[in-house]
Amino acid sequence: MATIVSVHSFRGGTGKSNSTANLASLCAQQGYRVAIVDTDIQSPGVHVLFGIDEAQAPRCLNDFLWGTCRIDEAAVDVTPVLEGGVEPVAGRLFVVPSSIKSDEIGRVLRDGYDVGRLNDGFRALIKSLALDLLFIDTHPGVNEETLLSLAISDLLVLIMRPDAQDYQGTAVTLELARRLEVPEILLTVNKVPPSLDAVKLRVDVARTFGVEVAGVLPLNLEMVEVASGGVFVTRYPEHPFTRELRVIAGRITVAAAPAARRA
Amino acid sequence: MSTPKSGNALDALLGRMKAAASPLREALLEIHGQYAPVMDGVVASYIPELALADPNWFGLSVVTVDGQSVDVGDHQQTFTIQSVSKPLIFGLALEDQGREAVLAKVGVEPTGEAFNSIELDEVSNRPYNPMVNAGAIATADLVAGKDLPDRVKRMLAMFGRYVGHPVHVDNGVYMSERSTGHRNRAIGHLMLNFGMISDRVDDTLDLYFQQCSVLVTAHDLAMVGATLANGGVNPVTGERALRQEFVRDLLSVMYTCGMYDSAGQWVYEVGLPAKSGVGGGIVAVVPGKLGIGLFSPPLDSKGNSVRGVGACVELARRFGLHLFESGFTGPDIVGELNPRRARGSG
Ligand SMILES: Nc1ncnc2c1ncn2[C@@H]1O[C@H](COP(=O)(O)OP(=O)(O)O)[C@@H](O)[C@H]1O
Ligand SMILES: [Mg+2]
Repeated sequence: MATIVSVHSFRGGTGKSNSTANLASLCAQQGYRVAIVDTDIQSPGVHVLFGIDEAQAPRCLNDFLWGTCRIDEAAVDVTPVLEGGVEPVAGRLFVVPSSIKSDEIGRVLRDGYDVGRLNDGFRALIKSLALDLLFIDTHPGVNEETLLSLAISDLLVLIMRPDAQDYQGTAVTLELARRLEVPEILLTVNKVPPSLDAVKLRVDVARTFGVEVAGVLPLNLEMVEVASGGVFVTRYPEHPFTRELRVIAGRITVAAAPAARRA
Repeated sequence: MSTPKSGNALDALLGRMKAAASPLREALLEIHGQYAPVMDGVVASYIPELALADPNWFGLSVVTVDGQSVDVGDHQQTFTIQSVSKPLIFGLALEDQGREAVLAKVGVEPTGEAFNSIELDEVSNRPYNPMVNAGAIATADLVAGKDLPDRVKRMLAMFGRYVGHPVHVDNGVYMSERSTGHRNRAIGHLMLNFGMISDRVDDTLDLYFQQCSVLVTAHDLAMVGATLANGGVNPVTGERALRQEFVRDLLSVMYTCGMYDSAGQWVYEVGLPAKSGVGGGIVAVVPGKLGIGLFSPPLDSKGNSVRGVGACVELARRFGLHLFESGFTGPDIVGELNPRRARGSG
């Protein structure tokens, strides 16, 4: 049985999509079969990091939700993207993008969809791609996709910036995650300016929310330069930022290991 | 019995998400996938409107007494309720006239006869039970109201309380039933002749044709079942659809007479009170737990939905729903609504 990891933040621009792409890539490099589903239907983005264009992805999550294709038909194998890194990739990485056509985004928002189908899609994808790990990139804040992803996830990676608004929002998300009985929660503080003491911040955040802080990631200038034009960990495999992310990825695969260990 | 969680929108939303993420949803999908390819049976065609149904339609819904629901397939597709209306009208008659008066007019004995048989119990001078057409017409006769529109209004309001929203009559089906229902008219007039029903027979037949033409979905039928499983109170709206004391009356006749003349086989195999209709609908009740709504138009030779029967048999088997099941060691169907219930390896 695969481990389902939701990556969420209460506010936008915290680094969900970049974290999802990087963590999923690191897990695939460790030999796991991994997929990312972009459930940020309103403002999709994770496909950009893998350079997925329309030609590569004629179908997307929207088509599945409307019942016009199977979910695995919308999955793009992006493993070759990771092979730009130093080591050959042992695992596999797939991405199910969400549509970036304004009329298709509008249609989902206007007509809605059966949220149960999203769950059916996750389960079907896990089966047909024989996944060990499924990452769900989400829309910020509270909406149906996010609540469903919380309800099914084995692990929540909750991202926040050291910002007063993020603190409040994180508390809301944590309450929902607890009510939906998410078994494991990893908090990650992202975009930490150099002026802040990372060690103290880690202790403060852990104490404030009473959950494990899996990583404190600095505001990273090289990442700003990459500007979502690629997956950071494959471009900078030896960068200290990548090493930090590798620790979080290790934490995720530890959570996944008992269930996902492959023969 | 549960009380409505009115006012707590977040609870309701979280409940919906849990149900959507639950292993029960996967089980229903599996069962749906198992019976969807079954191409046996024929769509009812005694009136042209019913023949328009797509034989591929197949919806499956479960609603618990806590108001949680899981719906798969064509669960939003409307169809006419047909005979599934009969136990509910029986309930309305019981509320309007009391048990004694109703039982004076209609029995509770199963017959091996077809649903549209003209067989009447001459010893007791009443139709055998409220689930055959004769008995249903006799119970419709007992629905109170100052005139036909008033009786129709009361009947529709009653359905609305079971399903939790206003219901409507499919006029095409109603007009067709009305203009071609010679056999039912004959049954009505024969009963009038025997003094089994009152002389407002034409109104009553009209009421009967309309009650059969009410539009519902598989989800609606599951809600009907959940209401009956919940002592007569709709678990989502909290509204009472039937007085608690009469719930057992309905469930008893559904148990013994609900599946046309295959009631014996049904009780043996599934062991749940249920009612089917020629529109392709079936409602089944697990008392104290949940209601099941099934819909698929192709019917077997007895008039029951082929896929509906198959899916219900499978549900009952997997989750040990048969009322006489004891010591069942398989999964608890309500427990399967919890997304955190450990899944098997897969
Ligand atoms: N640690 C970081 N340092 C610098 N820039 C970052 C960092 N994490 C994310 N970003 C940048 O922030 C922007 C928003 O990131 P994104 O992953 O799209 O966030 P979200 O998905 O939460 O909206 C992107 O331009 C991304 O490159
Ligand atoms: Mg994003």
